[in-house]
Amino acid sequence: MILEYTVFFVFAAIAVIFGIVVIAHRNPVVSALSLVASLFSLAVMYILLEAPFIAALQVIVYAGAIMVLFLFVIMLLNLQKTIEPRTHPIQQFLGWTGSAAFAITITYYLAKGAVILILPSTPFEASARTIGISLFQAYLFPFEMVSILLLAAIVGALVLSQKLRPQVPLEGAEQR
Amino acid sequence: MIPTSWFLVLGAILFSIGVCGVLVRRNGIVMFMSIELMVNAVNLTFIAYARQLHSLHGLIFVFFIMAIAAAEAAVGLAIFIALFRHRDTIDVDEANLMHW
Repeated sequence: MILEYTVFFVFAAIAVIFGIVVIAHRNPVVSALSLVASLFSLAVMYILLEAPFIAALQVIVYAGAIMVLFLFVIMLLNLQKTIEPRTHPIQQFLGWTGSAAFAITITYYLAKGAVILILPSTPFEASARTIGISLFQAYLFPFEMVSILLLAAIVGALVLSQKLRPQVPLEGAEQR
Repeated sequence: MIPTSWFLVLGAILFSIGVCGVLVRRNGIVMFMSIELMVNAVNLTFIAYARQLHSLHGLIFVFFIMAIAAAEAAVGLAIFIALFRHRDTIDVDEANLMHW
């Protein structure tokens, strides 16, 4: 009981602190690594919520694949040294105060009691088996759509990031 | 058991951090990372409510959100590589070709 609360607070603090480092640090590599730490602590939250399969997916897909893609692009473009010009002070002020006001408001309403919810004590079946059965029966069509979407994303990324070659006229075109 | 609303509050705070990052930064890749932070905050909310309501649908939504976030990251980073080739920067304020 006490252990659960300790784990929650420690990893919630890690998630929030590294989240702030992501947006505050000037070096994009430090931002990316902080985001990895933040995503790891969210995986711990998923384990606390009894969803170990989603936690494993979070570590493998997010902290593994997507963040490696980010780091790869940062190092490919050699962005570690570039100095980012500061945004306009009004924009800075509005961004910080606006998001802080949003956070305080939504936290106030969540804490006020309108949505205070206590977890039921019965166990929750969220293993890979139950998720897989649901995924391949009720959600089969969206699942196939996602595979087509990922294929389209791969093709789109390849087309967008290829080097532009000078246009060479086709050999047959001149003779006609 | 930890109350569900604590997870919701954590998700709200992370979402606000992501909003702040998108509003304040000009580096396109850091803005992208802020978007990932927001997506993860929403995922946390989905799983908290799935646990609360004893429903698997929230978890399956999280599964789809992860797949779509991967596709979005791949295409978005490819766009930034193309932008860097043309402009030698990923400052989003420099991408103003269509600005009237």
